[in-house]
Amino acid sequence: MTDGLLRTDSVTKRFDTVEALSNLSVELSPGTIGLVGPNGSGKTTLLRLLLGLLAPTSGSLSVLGRDPQREPLLVREQVGYMPEHDCLMPDLSGVGFVAYMGRVSGLPRETAMSRAHEVLEFVGLKEQRYRKIREYSVGMRQRVKLAQAIVHDPPLCLLDEPTSGLDPEGREEMLGLVAALSRLGGRSFVLSTHLLPDTEGLVDQVLLLNAGKLLAAGPVARLLSSRTPETVIRIRGDVPGFVAALSRKGVETRTQGSELRVVLPSGDTRPIFEVANETGGQVRYLGPSVRTIEDLFLSLAEEAPDQVAP
Amino acid sequence: MSISAPRYGAAPVAKTGRIHRALTIAHREFNRRSGVGTVAVVTLTYLAITLVLTINTSFASLTGTVTLATFETPYSSPAWPFLMLIVATSVGAGGLAEDVGNRSITLYLSRPIRLIDYLAAKSAATGTWLVIAAVGPGLAGLAVVLVLGWAPSSLVLTGAGAFVATGLLACIFFTGLALALSSLTTRALYAGVAIFGVVLSLEIGAPLVSGITGNTSVAYASPINDLLSVAQSAFGISGPYATDPATSAVVLALSGVFFAVFAGWRMSRVEVVGE
Repeated sequence: MTDGLLRTDSVTKRFDTVEALSNLSVELSPGTIGLVGPNGSGKTTLLRLLLGLLAPTSGSLSVLGRDPQREPLLVREQVGYMPEHDCLMPDLSGVGFVAYMGRVSGLPRETAMSRAHEVLEFVGLKEQRYRKIREYSVGMRQRVKLAQAIVHDPPLCLLDEPTSGLDPEGREEMLGLVAALSRLGGRSFVLSTHLLPDTEGLVDQVLLLNAGKLLAAGPVARLLSSRTPETVIRIRGDVPGFVAALSRKGVETRTQGSELRVVLPSGDTRPIFEVANETGGQVRYLGPSVRTIEDLFLSLAEEAPDQVAP
Repeated sequence: MSISAPRYGAAPVAKTGRIHRALTIAHREFNRRSGVGTVAVVTLTYLAITLVLTINTSFASLTGTVTLATFETPYSSPAWPFLMLIVATSVGAGGLAEDVGNRSITLYLSRPIRLIDYLAAKSAATGTWLVIAAVGPGLAGLAVVLVLGWAPSSLVLTGAGAFVATGLLACIFFTGLALALSSLTTRALYAGVAIFGVVLSLEIGAPLVSGITGNTSVAYASPINDLLSVAQSAFGISGPYATDPATSAVVLALSGVFFAVFAGWRMSRVEVVGE
């Protein structure tokens, strides 16, 4: 075992005929990690494997240097988990619930209660902490779920779709909370999401999954810089004809929304204007592409078209 | 919203062990079931059994005929098993069903506890309520008898043993049954109806089938019949029941254990299905 945060070694998880994860091998160091992929890509399965709630069909895992299958309790003492779905206890007050989950995580009663107050204040539920959870809004429920995940001060938090069901303002606030905790240091996060923009500027490492298969994993900066620089073009006119003409000139082109992304040999933009001249298209914009995790995911998914989420 | 993240001012604390965590769950579950309905039924049980026991013993003491069988009076009709059935439904039906229904089972199992700890905690909470309802009233009645001097202490002690034995047997059976049926649904109401349905169906069906087929062993399928048979035997009475008390006791105990194991198996499947 290594001293890394997470390690999976050829992990495959199969449910009857469905392969939720396929031969996944990654190693991630402490930090804030984006676990990114569309619905059905195996994100929740991976989180449950990391918690020891599921056993891999084959392969092995390590969380904070421990095997979740062999030492599930030691792993779970070190991990806070925020599930995606609503799983709260509606008959309890916010503070009662968080303190209770702290005690079930092994905190003594007084400590659990004082920490519950502290984390509920942090997540912005100080005023509502004595209200029953059944009276909470969706945003408040998400916050109390985050609070229960951090109440026992775990060095690793697994957050499964923390912005699920939130309006834009609530989403920003939730991501702000995660960012604040992340900046504090000493605690790692795995942020599982299918909303790629959620990870931008927040995570320092990323694990991209599609249809249970690994697209890429590692530090965001390295992954983004490792890709060939692209140029973004917006065209008015015969776009398919423009793309075909560029391809004939040996320029690698892909379409993303209303934009074309091209890889220009040695940055020479002349082929673009030549093609524009030939096809009568107007170049409305031309500039370097600002790479994002979303771009990276889309380009990797395009390169592996056989990996279609079930 | 707070402008700073929690820093947990206190120094790192020593974590509690698995038993303490399970007891935390059991304590919450016990409190959660202490609603008006449960308290009313348990109070009714105390009043009924204590009154019947003390009144009957007081009359017997006047004629000097107090024996172990005198204490059996509260168990001489199916009223007692029915009260246990109501208590089991009230405290046990929602034990697992509600956690599966609101999916808090996921939170429990993501904590540093095992499924067996969780199930033991739920069983302990349900079982404690049943012990309070099944054993407590008899002991309370005997305490009154002892204080008033209506029976010798040795006889009262023997009677207490009989109440404890039959009460624990009822507790094991009904706890297991309630957990098993609670694990099959996501609603306490459905589980409660199922508990009643199963017990009453067996109470009606077993003697009927036994009578039609002439196979007396079918009568063991009726838990109420088994409980009354065991209770009468414990108090030294040869009852009118067709079942052997020892066999009935074994059937009840094994059924309870089987149901509890089934609940465990079922809950281990729920997590996988939930995926």
